[in-house]
Amino acid sequence: MSDHPTAPPPAQSLRLRVLVWGTLLLLVFFGVIVAVLDSAFRSAALEAERDLLDSRMIMLLAAAEAGPGHDLVLPVDLPEPLFGTPGSGLYGAIVRRDGSVVWRSDSTIGVAIPWGVMPATGERSFRRIGLDDGTPLLALSMGIDWEFADGRVRSYIVHVATSLDSLNAQIASFRRQLLVWFGIVAALLLASLALLLRWLLRPLARIETEILEIEGGERAALSAGYPTELAGVARNLNQLIDIERARTERHRRTLQDLAHSLKTPLAAMRALLDGDGDRRDMEGQVSRMEEIVRYQLAKPLANVGATLGAEPVPVEPELRRLADGLHKVYRDRDIQCEVHVEPGLRFLGDRGDLLEIAGNLMENAHKWARRRVRVTAAGAADVPTPRRGLLLTVEDDGPGIPEGGETGLLERGRRLDETKPGQGIGLSVVVELAGAYRGTVELGRSPLGGAAATVRLPPG
Amino acid sequence: MRLLIIEDEEIIRESLAARLRAAGFGVETAKDGEEGLYFAREYPVDLAVIDLGLPRLSGLDIIRSLREEGYAYPILILTARDRWQDKVDGLGAGADDYVAKPFHVEEIIARVNALLRRAGGWASSELTAGPISLDTAGQELKVGGRPVELTGHEYKLLEHLMLRAGQVVSKTELTERLYDQDFERDSNVIEVFIGRLRRKLDPDNQLKPIETLRGRGYRFALAKAGGESSRAGE
Repeated sequence: MSDHPTAPPPAQSLRLRVLVWGTLLLLVFFGVIVAVLDSAFRSAALEAERDLLDSRMIMLLAAAEAGPGHDLVLPVDLPEPLFGTPGSGLYGAIVRRDGSVVWRSDSTIGVAIPWGVMPATGERSFRRIGLDDGTPLLALSMGIDWEFADGRVRSYIVHVATSLDSLNAQIASFRRQLLVWFGIVAALLLASLALLLRWLLRPLARIETEILEIEGGERAALSAGYPTELAGVARNLNQLIDIERARTERHRRTLQDLAHSLKTPLAAMRALLDGDGDRRDMEGQVSRMEEIVRYQLAKPLANVGATLGAEPVPVEPELRRLADGLHKVYRDRDIQCEVHVEPGLRFLGDRGDLLEIAGNLMENAHKWARRRVRVTAAGAADVPTPRRGLLLTVEDDGPGIPEGGETGLLERGRRLDETKPGQGIGLSVVVELAGAYRGTVELGRSPLGGAAATVRLPPG
Repeated sequence: MRLLIIEDEEIIRESLAARLRAAGFGVETAKDGEEGLYFAREYPVDLAVIDLGLPRLSGLDIIRSLREEGYAYPILILTARDRWQDKVDGLGAGADDYVAKPFHVEEIIARVNALLRRAGGWASSELTAGPISLDTAGQELKVGGRPVELTGHEYKLLEHLMLRAGQVVSKTELTERLYDQDFERDSNVIEVFIGRLRRKLDPDNQLKPIETLRGRGYRFALAKAGGESSRAGE
């Protein structure tokens, strides 16, 4: 079993396949989720930042009041202390339409902010700008008209900007957490997958161990209690082991039988040689040896192992081939051989065995028939083909079998009538083969008037 | 009747050939498949005995080739493995009968006779035409129910003519049949034998069972009576 001469390289392990696939799936799945969450978090954070910026601009406007000379002034202490802290990251400025600065927050000291746009009155502009040192800012600018108490109106642009550093830091932190947690979850999932695999594959490992034990002779068959999916495999393996064991036993027995059965005629021949024996006696012993060899040769060929993995043999073409061949051989006798086969019937076994069983029975029927031979084949059990077994009946309209002769004929190698040479062997071979398929052979009387031989092979 | 035996096992081939020659057949032998197919095509053969397991070219291939090329003479196969698979394959390829090894030579002779008879259109081993009845199993002749003594040569000649009933058989063929492979015999001897046969079969010269076709040969002219099966078994 273990020494296949050119064994193909083993296929990738099932465990590896599942784990590789699981990892790939997790990566894709988590990749998509992380990307979606990240982008959602980012836009939500940006949105919050805008709202904050908006409210700070409103605060600035609320704090502004008319100063001397029809101009705006802002108090030194604003409600938002960040405007007053240099480098705080929150900046504000109010400029006139001509670009001249009315007010700028203390936080802008030492920082040149490229405000850029000057939106028309009533318009707002959100945008990203960058400081010279590369710090990204989110800026909001709005054009307003300020109406003084005397009815004069002046246009101003209000700018506020906030550093995105903290936002970016938040996003980065969120992303880190996301990756850490997903990493942990993925590792847990893969680990549980590996555990599941171990659990799933344990019965396979058990089969392997048990087979090793069977090879070592410590065990007779695979134990019961395999999961449903493997029970069939275990059953088939047990069947294979049984068949193999039976075959070995049969071969051993055949060899012994052969040796023993040849010893007697050999002894007789030696005696004949020593005693200057009659040629006819010698001939008789040779014939006996021929019969023995012929009978024993048919036995080990019984190939019951074929019930496993063998291609089912369509029954009808084989029976027709036999009928055609026999029609040729018995052409003189003008025998009508009818073959009735259940449509689509297939035999789950060895083609040679089917031919052997049917051929021997059909040949006997042709030998004895007057005019008619009838061959009928159907499934033995009412289950889906091809596991239906075989029920084969071969009848003739010959003289039939004398009362009480049936059992004698079915004994191994026994001959009822020596005038039809080889018949004893033929039937014995059929009995032997049917036995190898755990089947039975019955002899009886046919409605046609002669003998009827019925072989019943149970479903495999 | 000329037989071709194709068998690689020398002991079987030679003993079978000897026994068949003794039984009155002309026998050619071939020791492998290729030689066998060559002989089967080139020699006048009335029946071939072919072993299935041959070196160089299998028996099945020989049979298939011969049948494809239109050779219709009977073929008897010998199978070493007594399996129906082999028999059915052989019969399917175009053989007419089989014998499994080991065999009794009598079995082969009986099958050969039966096949030749059948090839001649006779249904039973008793060739009956008009009042003439030749029992090929017992090698006995009856005319009008009365036993008639024949010499070995006369028997072979009559059997050959009756097996070929209705066909013209040349003097050469008859000579070969009588003397196996010795073609140098004087063909006048055949005329003498035919004359004797005619007197024994038809003392009153009314039946005229054997016609002479000048320059071509002889023909057994009576209609066969064995066209339909006359008995239930053998």
